[in-house]
Amino acid sequence: MEDYFSYTEKLFNPAEAAAKPEALKGIRVLDFSHVIFGPIAARLLADYGAEVIKLELPFAGDLWRPATYWGKYWKHSNPIWHNITKNKYFLSVNLKLAKSKELIYKMTERADVVIENFAPGTAEAWKIGYPQLSEINPQIIYLSCSTYGQYGPMRYFPGWDLLAQGASGVLSLNGYPDRFFKLPDYLGDFVPGNFGALAIMMALYYRNKTGKGQYIDVAQTEVLMRLLPHYTFHSVTGGEIGRTGNSDPAMVPAAILKSKDGKYLALACTTQEQFRALLNAMDRKELLADQRFTSNLTRLKPENAKILTEMVSNWVKSETCDKIIETANTHSFPAAEVADDYTICNDSWRRARGSVVLFKDSMYGELMIAGPSAQLSGTPSRTKWLARPLGYHNRLVLKKFLGLSDEEIKDLEKKKVIGTFDDRPGLKPPVYYDLAEDPIYNYGKEANQ
Amino acid sequence: MSPKAPKEEIYTRHASTRPSEMGKPLAEIMNPEGKSEVLDDLLVLDVSCANFAGIISASLFAEFGAEVIKIEPPEGDPARQITPFGANINGVGIPFMFEARNKRYMTLDIQNNENDRKIFSKLANKAAVVIDTFPAGDMDAWGTGFRQLREENPGLVYIAITPYGQYTDKAKQFARLPDSDITTQAGSGLPAEMGDMPDAGEPYNWPLRAGMWAGWYISGLSATLGGIVALIHRQNTGNGQMVDVAGMDAYSSMVGIPASIGYTWGKARPRIGFLDFILYPYGHWKCKDGFVVIAAPRDHDFRALLKILGLWEIEDDWRYSSDRIPDILEQATHLHKLIEKETIKYTADELVKKALNYSRKSARSKWRGGGVPIVMKLMTPETAMTHNQWRIRNTFQEVEDQDLGKYIISANFVKMSESPPRVKWVCCKIGMDNDYIRDKYLKNL
Repeated sequence: MEDYFSYTEKLFNPAEAAAKPEALKGIRVLDFSHVIFGPIAARLLADYGAEVIKLELPFAGDLWRPATYWGKYWKHSNPIWHNITKNKYFLSVNLKLAKSKELIYKMTERADVVIENFAPGTAEAWKIGYPQLSEINPQIIYLSCSTYGQYGPMRYFPGWDLLAQGASGVLSLNGYPDRFFKLPDYLGDFVPGNFGALAIMMALYYRNKTGKGQYIDVAQTEVLMRLLPHYTFHSVTGGEIGRTGNSDPAMVPAAILKSKDGKYLALACTTQEQFRALLNAMDRKELLADQRFTSNLTRLKPENAKILTEMVSNWVKSETCDKIIETANTHSFPAAEVADDYTICNDSWRRARGSVVLFKDSMYGELMIAGPSAQLSGTPSRTKWLARPLGYHNRLVLKKFLGLSDEEIKDLEKKKVIGTFDDRPGLKPPVYYDLAEDPIYNYGKEANQ
Repeated sequence: MSPKAPKEEIYTRHASTRPSEMGKPLAEIMNPEGKSEVLDDLLVLDVSCANFAGIISASLFAEFGAEVIKIEPPEGDPARQITPFGANINGVGIPFMFEARNKRYMTLDIQNNENDRKIFSKLANKAAVVIDTFPAGDMDAWGTGFRQLREENPGLVYIAITPYGQYTDKAKQFARLPDSDITTQAGSGLPAEMGDMPDAGEPYNWPLRAGMWAGWYISGLSATLGGIVALIHRQNTGNGQMVDVAGMDAYSSMVGIPASIGYTWGKARPRIGFLDFILYPYGHWKCKDGFVVIAAPRDHDFRALLKILGLWEIEDDWRYSSDRIPDILEQATHLHKLIEKETIKYTADELVKKALNYSRKSARSKWRGGGVPIVMKLMTPETAMTHNQWRIRNTFQEVEDQDLGKYIISANFVKMSESPPRVKWVCCKIGMDNDYIRDKYLKNL
């Protein structure tokens, strides 16, 4: 029989991924959302082949377009926004005008999914809420994203990822008894965005079976709550898990430690078998007979956990990081060096796997883009293009998808129903880029017009 | 006639609120009772071992209606004993109880027993999804891997969860390295972005672990998300496929930021403690009776915050977003302290009220520029549980099992009008459904 890893290498071969089928081909999504939470749900659908049309206001655009780390732009764009909005069609219409609503209603007729994350009630007030759009297309799947949900007394309370972290309690859990920190990189938006995509795909699966569309209400606080067994701990024991610094109180040992060569690594034992392996590696087999350490449950007692964590910490201090990782691999217990931006971008195995992809874009050139968090052998996720300037796909969407004529498009431009960018970075194309020569921006125009 | 419902207390900056246009109250429309379940015709086999990513992925399938069978050896999955401070009921740990949603329990020793493997293969012929967390290649070597099962069941969606995945030289080299939450967090880059500032002293300035299972929950979510993509493809074409989750991708692929920043900056970001790279003020501050969370990052939100804190005279120095998110940590910390000097004078409730009052006026005033400074009282999981919002939304559910007694879980994490997820029962008993499963799936084989 063929070696397993040579079999899987062929099964997942990244070079062949682009030619494989797409699971969501033919699904059309209207994405009214902004910042991260809603856009991530929409992007995941786009990654798997859906046609996502992102709507933004002319000359303003998504609030997150210019929001970049320490205000540092890359080719006049926000480097992290490419990951959030790649593979989408960028349409810029002025939602406030009646004429734009006609366009949206027309698009709704042939759309499958709508996503919004305005403050609850706003979409309805603007006549693009579920009650209005489901009238036009009863099979529509409509996702509303918010911090507290679409009903309940807190529904109008505004929110960000931070507020969801604060409201669920997860913000209070990261750190030491005397200080704590929020989860980084707006994780409270990205994880709920993934749950939003999960709910939409469940609804698509259901619609394939029954023909029925539906309304979905995802509150990011509730999603974060789904990830915390802390509530059950409290209801069973009456106590709190609280903050335990760099040790995971559910396994012993399990901590982030510093090695002899000054590197940080995490090390853990999830089972007694792994604990035995660790003691073997540390040459401390005699401890196996110690009554305090004979099972997970006895090791987990705080007094025993303290002794073991200290012992392991001293061992890690006496060895180099690479040596410990190698030992962990030979003896089979979990260990990993703490990866950072630089190592994640540059690890050769991540590039080979497609965990990160050096994507070559027609407008921006090369940018390292994260791969999907699950690799699919049959219908893989893929990156087709990066984010685009505001209103970049106006012509393509209106002409190709909606069948509007050049005259009609000109009229919409004149009436300021559709528009594009102004001079701000994040909204405009890179300075070196000549939009006049761009066939997509000028979609359907005669060559010399 | 029914008695008039008591007036609902609503937190809003607008003067009045329009009733829902959908005719019925949303709470009623979203009530899961009596509704269809999306995956009610699918069988999912969870053979994960000592790995909560697998258990969580299985739970999500179960909450959307699939028949999920947890397969474990007669002595039980070691994951049963992974629990904070060793807290357990009859040997079952808290996280295992928390994830024991709508599942069936069957004993098969796939790792060691040839005959049990045969039974598993028969069962897998009828399954839509298999979830495997054994070292890459083990199931294949036992004859129960994707390669063998797909022969009989071409529509099978096979989910594998390991630290380094199923392919590449690294995956092969590290196939025997087991998975855990903290190593997954570390290897996928989360702790590198969290922790106190460089000058805070050890160990505070070390990379910090998230105080929740960020690694395992993201891996589990990614597995089910990949799984439903594969199930849609299966629904359309009948074809199955393999879904490969590498824990070391979990955080970095979920947020995508490390790869792009590592490339455009050419170096790693430092840890900046309670500050934020893009938004400020955006964090927590001490107040008279605990902590408040404040988000006022847009310029007009920030101006509003200065006004309610009586700090208007410093506006000139911090006018632009770029003043407030400098790469000079000293500068940002200075502003943090200026704000703290004021927040410490008030209780959390007073600050929340000030912000709400301001927002209410600003929503109706063209002079206030619409600033919305958001202030809320910091919750712990324990205080969050008691909030009225979550009672009305049924976010927390009391469940009962004959062995484990009554306890509370967070459930109903998304509301759907036609086919919502839900928790129907909890139970954890080893081998509890052996007979049921034999009768239902393995008769006449």
